[in-house]
Amino acid sequence: MKTPAGGQLSLWKPSRRWSGPGLIVVVLAFAIVFPQQIAQDNIWNLFFLMSLGITMGQSWNMLGGFAGQTSLGHAGFFGIGALVTRTLWLHGTPFILALVVGGVATATFAMIIGAPTFRLRGAYFAIGTLAVAEVLRITVAQNRPFISTMPGDMIASYSLPARYWVALALAVVTTGAAYLLLRSRWSLGILGVREDEEAAQASGVHVLRHKLLALALSALFMGLAGGVFAFKQISYYPEAPFLPTFTFEAMMIAYIGGVGTVAGPVIGGAFFVFVRERLAANLTDVHQVIFGVLFILVVLIFPGGLLEIWERLRRLATRRQQGGPRASGPSPEEEGL
Amino acid sequence: MSDFLRIQDVSVAYGDIQALWDVSLNVEEGEIVALIGPNGAGKTTLMRAVAGLNPLKSGGIHLGDKALHTLRAHQIAEQGVILVPEGRRLFGGLSVLDNLELGAYSKRARQVRAETLKLVYELFPLLADRKLQRANTMSGGQQQMLAIGRALMGVPRLLMLDEPSLGLGPLVVESIFETIKRMNDQGVTVFLVEQNAWQALELAHRAYILEQGRIAGTGLAQELLRDDRVKQAYLGISPAAEV
Repeated sequence: MKTPAGGQLSLWKPSRRWSGPGLIVVVLAFAIVFPQQIAQDNIWNLFFLMSLGITMGQSWNMLGGFAGQTSLGHAGFFGIGALVTRTLWLHGTPFILALVVGGVATATFAMIIGAPTFRLRGAYFAIGTLAVAEVLRITVAQNRPFISTMPGDMIASYSLPARYWVALALAVVTTGAAYLLLRSRWSLGILGVREDEEAAQASGVHVLRHKLLALALSALFMGLAGGVFAFKQISYYPEAPFLPTFTFEAMMIAYIGGVGTVAGPVIGGAFFVFVRERLAANLTDVHQVIFGVLFILVVLIFPGGLLEIWERLRRLATRRQQGGPRASGPSPEEEGL
Repeated sequence: MSDFLRIQDVSVAYGDIQALWDVSLNVEEGEIVALIGPNGAGKTTLMRAVAGLNPLKSGGIHLGDKALHTLRAHQIAEQGVILVPEGRRLFGGLSVLDNLELGAYSKRARQVRAETLKLVYELFPLLADRKLQRANTMSGGQQQMLAIGRALMGVPRLLMLDEPSLGLGPLVVESIFETIKRMNDQGVTVFLVEQNAWQALELAHRAYILEQGRIAGTGLAQELLRDDRVKQAYLGISPAAEV
Protein backbone atom coordinates (compact mmCIF):
# COMPACT_ATOMS: atom_id res chain seq x y z
CA MET A 1 0.00 0.00 0.00
CA LYS A 2 1.24 3.45 -0.86
CA THR A 3 2.01 6.00 1.75
CA PRO A 4 -0.52 8.72 2.31
CA ALA A 5 0.73 11.95 0.84
CA GLY A 6 -0.85 14.46 3.14
CA GLY A 7 0.70 17.32 5.02
CA GLN A 8 1.43 15.15 8.00
CA LEU A 9 5.07 14.36 7.66
CA SER A 10 5.86 16.04 10.92
CA LEU A 11 3.61 13.55 12.69
CA TRP A 12 5.49 10.50 11.53
CA LYS A 13 8.19 11.57 13.79
CA PRO A 14 6.14 12.39 16.85
CA SER A 15 5.50 16.07 16.63
CA ARG A 16 5.48 18.68 19.29
CA ARG A 17 1.86 19.58 18.80
CA TRP A 18 0.24 16.21 19.33
CA SER A 19 2.56 14.60 21.77
CA GLY A 20 2.86 17.76 23.83
CA PRO A 21 2.57 16.89 27.48
CA GLY A 22 -0.17 19.48 27.91
CA LEU A 23 -2.62 17.88 25.54
CA ILE A 24 -1.84 14.38 26.79
CA VAL A 25 -2.58 15.41 30.38
CA VAL A 26 -5.86 17.05 29.36
CA VAL A 27 -7.04 14.02 27.39
CA LEU A 28 -6.01 11.57 30.11
CA ALA A 29 -7.59 13.65 32.84
CA PHE A 30 -10.81 13.76 30.86
CA ALA A 31 -10.72 10.00 30.32
CA ILE A 32 -10.24 9.45 34.05
CA VAL A 33 -12.53 12.10 35.55
CA PHE A 34 -15.43 12.31 33.16
CA PRO A 35 -16.78 8.74 33.44
CA GLN A 36 -16.52 8.91 37.23
CA GLN A 37 -18.50 12.13 37.31
CA ILE A 38 -21.29 10.77 35.14
CA ALA A 39 -21.01 7.31 36.66
CA GLN A 40 -23.50 5.68 34.31
CA ASP A 41 -23.15 2.27 32.79
CA ASN A 42 -23.58 3.49 29.22
CA ILE A 43 -20.74 6.00 29.68
CA TRP A 44 -18.43 3.40 31.23
CA ASN A 45 -19.31 1.20 28.32
CA LEU A 46 -18.71 3.89 25.70
CA PHE A 47 -15.34 4.79 27.19
CA PHE A 48 -14.39 1.14 27.43
CA LEU A 49 -15.14 0.65 23.74
CA MET A 50 -13.23 3.80 22.82
CA SER A 51 -10.17 2.59 24.69
CA LEU A 52 -10.42 -0.79 23.04
CA GLY A 53 -10.81 0.88 19.64
CA ILE A 54 -7.72 3.02 20.23
CA THR A 55 -5.71 -0.06 21.18
CA MET A 56 -6.86 -1.95 18.09
CA GLY A 57 -6.16 1.01 15.83
CA GLN A 58 -2.67 1.48 17.29
CA SER A 59 -1.97 -2.19 16.89
CA TRP A 60 -3.04 -2.31 13.25
CA ASN A 61 -1.15 0.90 12.58
CA MET A 62 2.16 -0.50 13.83
CA LEU A 63 2.16 -3.06 11.04
CA GLY A 64 -0.05 -1.39 8.42
CA GLY A 65 0.84 2.24 8.98
CA PHE A 66 4.51 2.11 9.95
CA ALA A 67 5.75 -0.98 8.11
CA GLY A 68 3.23 -0.63 5.26
CA GLN A 69 2.07 -4.25 5.48
CA THR A 70 -1.71 -4.21 5.08
CA SER A 71 -3.06 -7.01 7.24
CA LEU A 72 -6.60 -8.26 6.92
CA GLY A 73 -6.01 -10.88 9.57
CA HIS A 74 -5.86 -8.90 12.79
CA ALA A 75 -9.09 -10.48 13.99
CA GLY A 76 -7.08 -13.68 14.24
CA PHE A 77 -4.75 -12.04 16.76
CA PHE A 78 -7.70 -10.51 18.61
CA GLY A 79 -9.34 -13.93 18.75
CA ILE A 80 -6.27 -15.82 19.96
CA GLY A 81 -5.74 -13.26 22.71
CA ALA A 82 -9.37 -13.57 23.74
CA LEU A 83 -9.37 -17.36 23.62
CA VAL A 84 -6.18 -17.88 25.62
CA THR A 85 -6.95 -15.20 28.19
CA ARG A 86 -10.54 -16.33 28.71
CA THR A 87 -9.62 -19.99 29.03
CA LEU A 88 -6.86 -19.39 31.56
CA TRP A 89 -8.87 -16.84 33.50
CA LEU A 90 -12.01 -18.96 33.79
CA HIS A 91 -9.81 -21.84 34.96
CA GLY A 92 -8.58 -19.82 37.90
CA THR A 93 -5.52 -17.95 36.64
CA PRO A 94 -5.35 -14.39 37.95
CA PHE A 95 -6.68 -12.14 35.16
CA ILE A 96 -3.56 -10.01 34.66
CA LEU A 97 -1.40 -13.11 34.32
CA ALA A 98 -3.90 -14.66 31.92
CA LEU A 99 -3.91 -11.42 29.90
CA VAL A 100 -0.13 -11.30 29.60
CA VAL A 101 0.06 -14.97 28.62
CA GLY A 102 -2.66 -14.34 26.02
CA GLY A 103 -0.73 -11.43 24.53
CA VAL A 104 2.56 -13.31 24.45
CA ALA A 105 0.87 -16.36 22.93
CA THR A 106 -0.57 -14.15 20.19
CA ALA A 107 2.80 -12.59 19.41
CA THR A 108 4.40 -16.04 19.33
CA PHE A 109 1.76 -17.29 16.93
CA ALA A 110 2.31 -14.22 14.76
CA MET A 111 6.04 -14.92 14.62
CA ILE A 112 5.38 -18.47 13.48
CA ILE A 113 3.03 -17.49 10.65
CA GLY A 114 4.98 -14.27 9.93
CA ALA A 115 7.98 -15.80 8.16
CA PRO A 116 5.94 -17.63 5.52
CA THR A 117 3.28 -14.91 5.21
CA PHE A 118 5.86 -12.20 4.54
CA ARG A 119 6.93 -14.06 1.45
CA LEU A 120 3.76 -12.53 0.06
CA ARG A 121 3.65 -8.89 -0.89
CA GLY A 122 1.00 -6.22 -1.22
CA ALA A 123 -2.46 -7.55 -1.99
CA TYR A 124 -1.26 -11.14 -1.68
CA PHE A 125 -0.08 -10.49 1.85
CA ALA A 126 -3.47 -8.97 2.70
CA ILE A 127 -5.31 -11.99 1.29
CA GLY A 128 -2.92 -14.40 2.98
CA THR A 129 -3.51 -12.85 6.40
CA LEU A 130 -7.27 -12.86 5.81
CA ALA A 131 -7.07 -16.56 4.99
CA VAL A 132 -5.11 -17.36 8.16
CA ALA A 133 -7.64 -15.49 10.32
CA GLU A 134 -10.61 -17.19 8.67
CA VAL A 135 -9.06 -20.63 9.09
CA LEU A 136 -8.64 -19.84 12.79
CA ARG A 137 -12.21 -18.60 13.09
CA ILE A 138 -13.70 -21.66 11.44
CA THR A 139 -11.51 -24.01 13.46
CA VAL A 140 -12.61 -22.38 16.70
CA ALA A 141 -16.25 -22.35 15.62
CA GLN A 142 -16.06 -26.09 14.91
CA ASN A 143 -14.29 -27.06 18.11
CA ARG A 144 -15.86 -24.61 20.57
CA PRO A 145 -19.44 -24.35 19.38
CA PHE A 146 -20.92 -23.41 22.79
CA ILE A 147 -21.30 -20.01 24.38
CA SER A 148 -18.63 -19.15 26.93
CA THR A 149 -20.28 -17.65 30.02
CA MET A 150 -18.72 -16.33 33.20
CA PRO A 151 -19.58 -18.38 36.28
CA GLY A 152 -22.20 -16.95 38.64
CA ASP A 153 -19.83 -15.65 41.31
CA MET A 154 -17.88 -13.66 38.72
CA ILE A 155 -21.09 -12.13 37.41
CA ALA A 156 -22.15 -11.27 40.93
CA SER A 157 -18.95 -9.30 41.55
CA TYR A 158 -18.77 -7.89 38.00
CA SER A 159 -17.65 -4.27 37.86
CA LEU A 160 -17.84 -2.30 34.63
CA PRO A 161 -15.49 0.50 35.83
CA ALA A 162 -12.81 -2.13 36.55
CA ARG A 163 -13.07 -3.23 32.90
CA TYR A 164 -12.72 0.35 31.77
CA TRP A 165 -9.60 0.99 33.84
CA VAL A 166 -7.91 -2.06 32.35
CA ALA A 167 -8.89 -1.02 28.82
CA LEU A 168 -7.74 2.56 29.39
CA ALA A 169 -4.41 1.41 30.79
CA LEU A 170 -3.92 -0.83 27.76
CA ALA A 171 -4.75 2.02 25.36
CA VAL A 172 -2.20 4.25 27.11
CA VAL A 173 0.47 1.54 27.09
CA THR A 174 -0.17 0.72 23.42
CA THR A 175 -0.02 4.36 22.39
CA GLY A 176 3.18 4.75 24.37
CA ALA A 177 4.61 1.70 22.65
CA ALA A 178 3.74 3.10 19.22
CA TYR A 179 5.46 6.33 20.17
CA LEU A 180 8.56 4.53 21.42
CA LEU A 181 8.63 2.35 18.32
CA LEU A 182 8.79 5.51 16.19
CA ARG A 183 11.58 6.88 18.36
CA SER A 184 13.52 3.65 18.31
CA ARG A 185 16.62 2.81 16.34
CA TRP A 186 14.56 0.51 14.11
CA SER A 187 11.90 3.02 13.14
CA LEU A 188 13.73 4.28 10.06
CA GLY A 189 14.22 0.74 8.84
CA ILE A 190 10.54 -0.02 9.34
CA LEU A 191 9.45 3.16 7.56
CA GLY A 192 11.97 2.43 4.82
CA VAL A 193 10.41 -0.99 4.26
CA ARG A 194 7.06 0.73 3.79
CA GLU A 195 8.42 3.31 1.37
CA ASP A 196 10.52 1.04 -0.85
CA GLU A 197 11.41 -2.43 0.26
CA GLU A 198 14.18 -2.96 -2.25
CA ALA A 199 15.80 0.40 -1.69
CA ALA A 200 15.70 -0.27 2.04
CA GLN A 201 17.39 -3.61 1.51
CA ALA A 202 20.07 -1.99 -0.61
CA SER A 203 20.64 0.53 2.19
CA GLY A 204 21.41 -2.27 4.62
CA VAL A 205 17.99 -2.92 6.15
CA HIS A 206 17.25 -6.55 7.00
CA VAL A 207 13.71 -6.37 5.64
CA LEU A 208 12.24 -9.55 7.11
CA ARG A 209 13.58 -8.80 10.59
CA HIS A 210 12.01 -5.34 10.57
CA LYS A 211 8.69 -6.66 9.32
CA LEU A 212 8.70 -9.30 12.03
CA LEU A 213 9.43 -6.71 14.70
CA ALA A 214 6.45 -4.61 13.60
CA LEU A 215 4.31 -7.73 13.38
CA ALA A 216 5.29 -8.99 16.84
CA LEU A 217 4.38 -5.71 18.52
CA SER A 218 1.23 -5.35 16.48
CA ALA A 219 0.09 -8.89 17.33
CA LEU A 220 1.02 -8.52 21.00
CA PHE A 221 -1.25 -5.51 21.47
CA MET A 222 -4.06 -6.93 19.34
CA GLY A 223 -3.90 -10.08 21.48
CA LEU A 224 -4.02 -7.99 24.66
CA ALA A 225 -7.03 -6.14 23.26
CA GLY A 226 -8.69 -9.50 22.67
CA GLY A 227 -7.89 -10.47 26.25
CA VAL A 228 -9.57 -7.32 27.55
CA PHE A 229 -12.58 -8.11 25.36
CA ALA A 230 -12.72 -11.57 26.98
CA PHE A 231 -12.49 -9.94 30.40
CA LYS A 232 -15.46 -7.72 29.70
CA GLN A 233 -17.98 -9.89 27.85
CA ILE A 234 -20.16 -11.89 30.19
CA SER A 235 -21.00 -14.39 27.50
CA TYR A 236 -20.09 -14.80 23.85
CA TYR A 237 -19.41 -17.45 21.25
CA PRO A 238 -15.67 -18.21 21.27
CA GLU A 239 -15.80 -17.65 17.52
CA ALA A 240 -17.01 -14.04 17.92
CA PRO A 241 -13.66 -12.27 18.51
CA PHE A 242 -12.31 -13.93 15.36
CA LEU A 243 -14.92 -12.18 13.19
CA PRO A 244 -13.39 -10.05 10.40
CA THR A 245 -15.26 -7.03 11.81
CA PHE A 246 -12.46 -6.58 14.33
CA THR A 247 -9.89 -6.41 11.56
CA PHE A 248 -11.86 -3.86 9.63
CA GLU A 249 -12.61 -1.74 12.66
CA ALA A 250 -8.93 -1.64 13.58
CA MET A 251 -7.99 -0.69 10.03
CA MET A 252 -10.72 1.94 9.68
CA ILE A 253 -9.76 3.53 12.99
CA ALA A 254 -6.16 3.84 11.83
CA TYR A 255 -7.14 5.24 8.43
CA ILE A 256 -9.88 7.58 9.59
CA GLY A 257 -7.68 9.01 12.32
CA GLY A 258 -4.50 9.24 10.27
CA VAL A 259 -2.57 6.17 9.22
CA GLY A 260 1.13 6.08 9.96
CA THR A 261 0.88 8.49 12.88
CA VAL A 262 0.74 8.01 16.64
CA ALA A 263 -2.07 10.48 17.24
CA GLY A 264 -4.20 9.17 14.38
CA PRO A 265 -5.48 5.97 15.99
CA VAL A 266 -6.28 7.86 19.22
CA ILE A 267 -8.44 10.37 17.38
CA GLY A 268 -9.78 7.72 15.04
CA GLY A 269 -10.65 5.33 17.87
CA ALA A 270 -12.52 7.92 19.90
CA PHE A 271 -14.33 9.29 16.85
CA PHE A 272 -15.17 5.94 15.27
CA VAL A 273 -16.54 4.35 18.42
CA PHE A 274 -18.45 7.45 19.48
CA VAL A 275 -20.19 7.81 16.13
CA ARG A 276 -20.84 4.09 15.86
CA GLU A 277 -22.41 3.88 19.31
CA ARG A 278 -24.53 7.01 18.80
CA LEU A 279 -25.83 5.81 15.45
CA ALA A 280 -26.24 2.21 16.50
CA ALA A 281 -28.53 3.36 19.30
CA ASN A 282 -30.97 5.00 16.90
CA LEU A 283 -30.36 3.77 13.40
CA THR A 284 -28.99 0.25 13.94
CA ASP A 285 -26.58 -0.45 11.10
CA VAL A 286 -26.50 2.86 9.26
CA HIS A 287 -23.08 3.56 10.75
CA GLN A 288 -21.58 0.94 8.46
CA VAL A 289 -22.67 2.89 5.39
CA ILE A 290 -21.39 6.13 6.88
CA PHE A 291 -18.02 4.66 7.78
CA GLY A 292 -17.78 3.04 4.37
CA VAL A 293 -18.23 6.43 2.69
CA LEU A 294 -15.91 8.15 5.15
CA PHE A 295 -13.25 5.50 4.58
CA ILE A 296 -13.43 6.00 0.81
CA LEU A 297 -13.23 9.77 1.24
CA VAL A 298 -10.21 9.46 3.46
CA VAL A 299 -8.39 7.14 1.09
CA LEU A 300 -9.19 9.23 -1.98
CA ILE A 301 -9.11 12.80 -0.74
CA PHE A 302 -7.61 13.00 2.73
CA PRO A 303 -5.04 10.24 2.97
CA GLY A 304 -3.90 11.73 6.25
CA GLY A 305 -7.33 11.14 7.82
CA LEU A 306 -8.91 13.38 10.46
CA LEU A 307 -5.45 14.66 11.36
CA GLU A 308 -5.02 16.00 7.86
CA ILE A 309 -8.50 17.50 7.75
CA TRP A 310 -7.76 19.24 11.03
CA GLU A 311 -4.42 20.44 9.74
CA ARG A 312 -6.00 21.91 6.60
CA LEU A 313 -8.72 23.67 8.58
CA ARG A 314 -6.12 25.11 10.92
CA ARG A 315 -4.11 26.44 8.00
CA LEU A 316 -7.21 27.90 6.44
CA ALA A 317 -8.02 29.67 9.69
CA THR A 318 -4.50 31.04 10.01
CA ARG A 319 -4.66 32.37 6.50
CA ARG A 320 -8.02 34.07 7.15
CA GLN A 321 -6.59 35.72 10.22
CA GLN A 322 -3.65 37.02 8.29
CA GLY A 323 -6.00 38.87 5.95
CA GLY A 324 -7.34 36.93 3.04
CA PRO A 325 -6.02 33.98 1.15
CA ARG A 326 -2.51 34.04 -0.24
CA ALA A 327 -1.79 37.35 1.48
CA SER A 328 1.01 36.14 3.69
CA GLY A 329 0.29 32.48 4.09
CA PRO A 330 3.04 29.94 3.94
CA SER A 331 4.45 29.34 0.48
CA PRO A 332 3.53 26.04 -1.13
CA GLU A 333 7.05 24.88 -0.54
CA GLU A 334 6.86 25.49 3.17
CA GLU A 335 3.60 23.61 3.29
CA GLY A 336 5.52 20.58 2.14
CA LEU A 337 7.21 20.63 5.50
CA MET B 1 47.26 -4.37 -9.49
CA SER B 2 44.90 -6.67 -7.65
CA ASP B 3 41.29 -7.00 -8.62
CA PHE B 4 38.83 -5.08 -6.50
CA LEU B 5 35.44 -5.98 -7.96
CA ARG B 6 35.61 -9.16 -9.99
CA ILE B 7 32.58 -10.36 -11.92
CA GLN B 8 33.16 -13.83 -13.35
CA ASP B 9 31.02 -15.62 -15.93
CA VAL B 10 27.82 -14.23 -14.49
CA SER B 11 24.52 -15.38 -15.94
CA VAL B 12 21.19 -14.04 -14.77
CA ALA B 13 17.75 -15.11 -15.90
CA TYR B 14 14.25 -13.82 -15.23
CA GLY B 15 12.30 -17.04 -15.34
CA ASP B 16 12.90 -18.51 -18.76
CA ILE B 17 14.33 -15.34 -20.19
CA GLN B 18 18.07 -15.07 -19.81
CA ALA B 19 19.31 -11.51 -19.46
CA LEU B 20 23.06 -11.99 -18.96
CA TRP B 21 25.31 -14.61 -20.55
CA ASP B 22 28.68 -15.35 -18.93
CA VAL B 23 29.52 -11.72 -18.26
CA SER B 24 32.99 -11.11 -16.85
CA LEU B 25 34.49 -7.78 -15.94
CA ASN B 26 36.57 -6.23 -13.22
CA VAL B 27 36.96 -2.88 -11.56
CA GLU B 28 40.22 -1.87 -9.90
CA GLU B 29 40.36 0.12 -6.71
CA GLY B 30 40.16 3.86 -7.36
CA GLU B 31 38.87 3.53 -10.90
CA ILE B 32 35.80 4.88 -12.62
CA VAL B 33 34.49 2.16 -14.88
CA ALA B 34 31.54 2.76 -17.18
CA LEU B 35 29.22 0.15 -18.58
CA ILE B 36 27.55 1.34 -21.76
CA GLY B 37 25.21 -0.30 -24.17
CA PRO B 38 21.78 -0.05 -25.75
CA ASN B 39 18.44 -0.34 -23.99
CA GLY B 40 17.70 -3.82 -22.78
CA ALA B 41 21.31 -4.97 -22.97
CA GLY B 42 21.22 -6.02 -19.32
CA LYS B 43 23.16 -3.15 -17.74
CA THR B 44 20.71 -2.62 -14.91
CA THR B 45 20.41 -6.36 -14.40
CA LEU B 46 24.15 -6.63 -13.89
CA MET B 47 24.23 -3.80 -11.34
CA ARG B 48 21.32 -5.28 -9.45
CA ALA B 49 23.05 -8.63 -9.44
CA VAL B 50 26.14 -7.09 -7.84
CA ALA B 51 23.93 -5.38 -5.24
CA GLY B 52 22.27 -8.69 -4.42
CA LEU B 53 18.87 -7.73 -5.81
CA ASN B 54 18.95 -10.28 -8.65
CA PRO B 55 20.01 -13.86 -7.94
CA LEU B 56 22.72 -15.34 -10.18
CA LYS B 57 22.05 -18.34 -12.33
CA SER B 58 25.75 -19.10 -12.47
CA GLY B 59 29.07 -17.38 -12.02
CA GLY B 60 30.49 -15.39 -9.14
CA ILE B 61 30.99 -11.84 -7.92
CA HIS B 62 33.85 -11.00 -5.56
CA LEU B 63 34.90 -7.83 -3.80
CA GLY B 64 38.51 -8.43 -2.84
CA ASP B 65 38.37 -11.96 -1.51
CA LYS B 66 34.76 -11.65 -0.30
CA ALA B 67 32.18 -13.58 -2.32
CA LEU B 68 29.32 -11.12 -2.75
CA HIS B 69 27.05 -13.55 -4.56
CA THR B 70 26.65 -15.61 -1.40
CA LEU B 71 25.49 -12.58 0.59
CA ARG B 72 22.07 -10.97 0.78
CA ALA B 73 21.42 -7.40 -0.30
CA HIS B 74 21.66 -5.86 3.17
CA GLN B 75 24.90 -7.73 3.84
CA ILE B 76 26.34 -6.47 0.58
CA ALA B 77 25.53 -2.91 1.68
CA GLU B 78 27.37 -3.73 4.91
CA GLN B 79 30.42 -4.57 2.76
CA GLY B 80 30.36 -1.02 1.37
CA VAL B 81 28.97 -1.87 -2.04
CA ILE B 82 26.28 0.76 -2.49
CA LEU B 83 23.89 1.12 -5.41
CA VAL B 84 22.20 4.31 -6.55
CA PRO B 85 19.34 2.58 -8.31
CA GLU B 86 17.80 3.52 -11.60
CA GLY B 87 15.00 6.03 -11.11
CA ARG B 88 16.53 6.98 -7.74
CA ARG B 89 14.11 4.94 -5.62
CA LEU B 90 14.01 7.40 -2.74
CA PHE B 91 11.90 6.88 0.35
CA GLY B 92 9.42 9.38 -1.06
CA GLY B 93 7.22 9.90 1.97
CA LEU B 94 10.12 10.48 4.32
CA SER B 95 12.13 13.64 4.85
CA VAL B 96 15.49 14.35 3.24
CA LEU B 97 17.20 13.76 6.57
CA ASP B 98 15.40 10.45 7.10
CA ASN B 99 16.50 9.34 3.64
CA LEU B 100 20.09 10.20 4.45
CA GLU B 101 19.99 8.47 7.82
CA LEU B 102 18.47 5.38 6.22
CA GLY B 103 21.42 5.38 3.85
CA ALA B 104 23.64 4.89 6.89
CA TYR B 105 21.63 1.98 8.27
CA SER B 106 24.34 -0.64 8.09
CA LYS B 107 26.38 -1.13 11.24
CA ARG B 108 29.61 0.03 9.59
CA ALA B 109 28.06 3.26 8.32
CA ARG B 110 26.03 4.03 11.44
CA GLN B 111 29.14 4.39 13.56
CA VAL B 112 30.38 7.35 11.51
CA ARG B 113 26.97 8.75 10.60
CA ALA B 114 27.40 12.21 12.07
CA GLU B 115 30.67 12.85 10.24
CA THR B 116 29.40 11.44 6.95
CA LEU B 117 26.32 13.60 7.20
CA LYS B 118 28.51 16.67 7.54
CA LEU B 119 30.45 15.68 4.45
CA VAL B 120 27.28 15.07 2.45
CA TYR B 121 25.93 18.47 3.47
CA GLU B 122 29.18 20.06 2.35
CA LEU B 123 28.91 18.32 -1.00
CA PHE B 124 25.21 19.16 -1.38
CA PRO B 125 24.41 22.26 0.70
CA LEU B 126 20.90 22.15 -0.74
CA LEU B 127 20.16 18.95 1.17
CA ALA B 128 21.02 20.69 4.43
CA ASP B 129 18.62 23.52 3.62
CA ARG B 130 15.86 21.06 2.86
CA LYS B 131 16.49 18.38 5.40
CA LEU B 132 12.90 18.41 6.66
CA GLN B 133 11.29 18.50 3.24
CA ARG B 134 9.59 15.37 2.02
CA ALA B 135 11.75 13.68 -0.60
CA ASN B 136 9.03 13.27 -3.22
CA THR B 137 8.29 17.00 -3.26
CA MET B 138 11.72 17.84 -4.68
CA SER B 139 12.68 18.27 -8.32
CA GLY B 140 14.32 15.51 -10.32
CA GLY B 141 17.80 16.96 -10.02
CA GLN B 142 17.46 17.49 -6.29
CA GLN B 143 16.19 13.93 -5.92
CA GLN B 144 19.21 12.61 -7.77
CA MET B 145 21.47 14.56 -5.43
CA LEU B 146 19.61 13.05 -2.50
CA ALA B 147 19.96 9.58 -4.02
CA ILE B 148 23.70 10.05 -4.31
CA GLY B 149 23.86 11.61 -0.86
CA ARG B 150 21.98 8.64 0.56
CA ALA B 151 24.46 6.29 -1.09
CA LEU B 152 27.40 8.25 0.32
CA MET B 153 25.89 7.90 3.79
CA GLY B 154 26.53 4.19 3.38
CA VAL B 155 30.29 4.97 3.25
CA PRO B 156 30.79 3.23 -0.09
CA ARG B 157 33.99 1.44 -1.03
CA LEU B 158 32.35 0.74 -4.37
CA LEU B 159 29.69 3.17 -5.54
CA MET B 160 27.44 1.89 -8.31
CA LEU B 161 25.34 4.40 -10.21
CA ASP B 162 22.60 3.21 -12.50
CA GLU B 163 21.70 5.87 -15.08
CA PRO B 164 22.37 8.90 -12.88
CA SER B 165 21.55 11.26 -15.75
CA LEU B 166 18.14 9.76 -16.49
CA GLY B 167 15.50 12.43 -17.03
CA LEU B 168 17.69 15.34 -15.94
CA GLY B 169 18.55 18.56 -17.74
CA PRO B 170 22.06 19.05 -19.18
CA LEU B 171 23.23 21.45 -16.47
CA VAL B 172 22.11 19.13 -13.70
CA VAL B 173 23.74 16.17 -15.43
CA GLU B 174 26.99 18.09 -15.61
CA SER B 175 26.97 18.89 -11.91
CA ILE B 176 26.12 15.28 -11.05
CA PHE B 177 29.05 14.04 -13.12
CA GLU B 178 31.31 16.60 -11.54
CA THR B 179 30.28 15.31 -8.15
CA ILE B 180 31.05 11.74 -9.18
CA LYS B 181 34.49 12.88 -10.30
CA ARG B 182 35.11 14.60 -6.96
CA MET B 183 34.08 11.54 -4.99
CA ASN B 184 36.39 9.43 -7.09
CA ASP B 185 39.23 11.86 -6.39
CA GLN B 186 38.56 11.24 -2.72
CA GLY B 187 39.13 7.52 -3.23
CA VAL B 188 35.69 6.07 -3.94
CA THR B 189 35.71 3.45 -6.67
CA VAL B 190 32.88 4.07 -9.14
CA PHE B 191 31.03 1.66 -11.38
CA LEU B 192 28.66 3.51 -13.65
CA VAL B 193 25.87 2.50 -16.02
CA GLU B 194 24.90 5.12 -18.58
CA GLN B 195 22.90 5.53 -21.74
CA ASN B 196 24.59 8.86 -22.14
CA ALA B 197 27.69 7.16 -23.51
CA TRP B 198 29.63 10.25 -24.48
CA GLN B 199 29.44 11.79 -21.04
CA ALA B 200 30.18 8.48 -19.36
CA LEU B 201 33.29 7.91 -21.48
CA GLU B 202 34.50 11.43 -20.80
CA LEU B 203 34.33 10.70 -17.11
CA ALA B 204 35.48 7.09 -16.90
CA HIS B 205 38.93 5.56 -16.98
CA ARG B 206 37.78 2.39 -18.63
CA ALA B 207 34.54 1.10 -20.07
CA TYR B 208 32.80 -2.08 -21.05
CA ILE B 209 30.21 -2.40 -23.77
CA LEU B 210 27.30 -4.69 -23.05
CA GLU B 211 25.12 -5.88 -25.92
CA GLN B 212 22.31 -8.39 -25.65
CA GLY B 213 23.54 -9.67 -22.35
CA ARG B 214 27.14 -10.22 -23.43
CA ILE B 215 30.29 -8.15 -23.13
CA ALA B 216 30.89 -6.88 -26.67
CA GLY B 217 33.98 -4.83 -26.06
CA THR B 218 36.18 -3.10 -23.55
CA GLY B 219 38.97 -0.57 -23.48
CA LEU B 220 40.25 2.67 -22.11
CA ALA B 221 37.52 5.29 -22.21
CA GLN B 222 39.61 7.69 -24.31
CA GLU B 223 40.23 4.98 -26.90
CA LEU B 224 36.57 4.04 -27.07
CA LEU B 225 35.71 7.67 -27.67
CA ARG B 226 37.80 7.48 -30.87
CA ASP B 227 36.60 4.03 -31.92
CA ASP B 228 34.57 4.21 -35.11
CA ARG B 229 32.15 1.48 -34.18
CA VAL B 230 31.47 3.01 -30.76
CA LYS B 231 31.08 6.43 -32.31
CA GLN B 232 28.50 5.13 -34.70
CA ALA B 233 26.55 2.99 -32.28
CA TYR B 234 26.62 5.03 -29.08
CA LEU B 235 27.84 8.53 -29.75
CA GLY B 236 25.57 9.30 -32.68
CA ILE B 237 28.47 10.27 -34.93
CA SER B 238 28.57 8.68 -38.36
CA PRO B 239 32.05 8.23 -39.84
CA ALA B 240 30.96 10.04 -43.00
CA ALA B 241 30.05 13.19 -41.12
CA GLU B 242 33.51 13.36 -39.68
CA VAL B 243 35.36 13.26 -42.95
